[in-house]
Amino acid sequence: MLPYLKSKFGNPSSVHRYGQEARAAVDRARRDVAGLIGARPNDVVFVSGGTEANNLAVRGLAESAANHGRHLITSAIEHSSVGGICEALEKRGWEVRRLPVYEDGIVRLDDLRAAIRPDTVLITVMLANNEIGTVQPIKEIGKLVDEERERGHRHLWLHTDAVQAAGRMELNVDDLGCDLLSLSAHKLYAPKGTGALYVRRGVRLTPQNAGGHQERERRAGTEDVPGIVAFGAAARIARDELAERTTQVRRLRDRFEQEVATRIDDIVFNGRGDNRLAHLSNISFRFIEGEGLLISLDLQGVAVSTGSACSSGTLEPSPVIQALGRSDELARGSIRFSFGKDNTEEDVDYVLETLVNSVTRLRQLSPLNKALA
Amino acid sequence: MPYSTVFNNHLSNPRNAGELPDATVVAEETNPVCGDRLRLALRINNGQIENVRFLAYGCPPTIACGSALTELIQGVSVEAAAKLTRAEIAAAVGGLPSRKQHAAALALETLRAALAALHKKSEFVRDAALPPSMR
Repeated sequence: MLPYLKSKFGNPSSVHRYGQEARAAVDRARRDVAGLIGARPNDVVFVSGGTEANNLAVRGLAESAANHGRHLITSAIEHSSVGGICEALEKRGWEVRRLPVYEDGIVRLDDLRAAIRPDTVLITVMLANNEIGTVQPIKEIGKLVDEERERGHRHLWLHTDAVQAAGRMELNVDDLGCDLLSLSAHKLYAPKGTGALYVRRGVRLTPQNAGGHQERERRAGTEDVPGIVAFGAAARIARDELAERTTQVRRLRDRFEQEVATRIDDIVFNGRGDNRLAHLSNISFRFIEGEGLLISLDLQGVAVSTGSACSSGTLEPSPVIQALGRSDELARGSIRFSFGKDNTEEDVDYVLETLVNSVTRLRQLSPLNKALA
Repeated sequence: MPYSTVFNNHLSNPRNAGELPDATVVAEETNPVCGDRLRLALRINNGQIENVRFLAYGCPPTIACGSALTELIQGVSVEAAAKLTRAEIAAAVGGLPSRKQHAAALALETLRAALAALHKKSEFVRDAALPPSMR
């Protein structure tokens, strides 16, 4: 990537040699990203990140297919980008059906089957959830879409947001049967600011960026060459190291969860089923609020995240945790622990130690703690 | 926004946390919108806040403001405590962004609820000392 920030400064749209050098680098990266998901390079569109990929996919498809219908189906636990696009489309006259997830954090095919209408043009369900890591049955949904098409429902497409799943599980667009798939570079350890949308050949999207011919007319704007080059390299490494990384983070995560369950009372695991990513753990701690725990851990060098946000005195408990049927208190007290390729057993030991201390201290402070009340 | 050092210090080492078995008065207030909750226990002697304890459930500013509030009122007169402002509580934790001002507001409300309860109690005690015909 570094040469493309320093000396190799060509614009891929330029015809001169510097431009062609940049063009070749972008195309190489396109092959690498395509390789990660089993796609044809020409079906990969580079964008600025997962949010833009989701915008181009959902909004672009909805607008392009508006003559065939204005009904979309999605899940209750999508990333806020897909959720936000759906809300924006609803304001413009589209109808959106949000499939529930159950305590296991997974949608049901029967619910989906019942939700499909003749005017449904898009099903958009994420491959893996960003807060709890549950993996949705996209392959089965893809089969269902195929069956629908065979029955004559030709204008029905499937999009999946694979931002969280990429680099964490095997991905193959033909296997999944999806028409559109979103990716983000930084989830693969590349710099932030680049992503990609897989667009199956023949699927028409209304471009959301107009005014240039880049990316085969699907995304106008000069490509972020250094970011794309890094994305390609990260995709190649992620593919090569997938098995090794997955085994390692799964071992760390499983030990972490086991120890937390032994050492801390009054907790609830969220989405802890078989169908989930190996690197995520989401736990609700009773009697305490997630942000307090987050900051307390942060002060000790442990970075975690919470889906809840309290600002201006209004609280938005994590919609994902609420969708599992959890109470507001549990949704407020949920924390996501994410294990990365560079984490070690010692890191897990340290996190356990700081977590036990922080939870104990915050619970001693909490008027909700029944033991003290 | 990174919180200030004094804020982080209140969070890591909350002052006067816990319950007060011999409290003169206890008040608990909740922010109905976000669920933040603060409990304040005061022991009053001769019009002075002799001892104070707090418990808090909520986002970090709620905990920090609860802690800072106890420092502000420990050992001061009830009269002086009643004059405390939201801005003084926010300043005591090194300032708060506008979206977190509600934490200082909750601390102040809880203090006022405690003082109101104290006032009511002292009236009751005074009344109880009177003969029934004069109550």
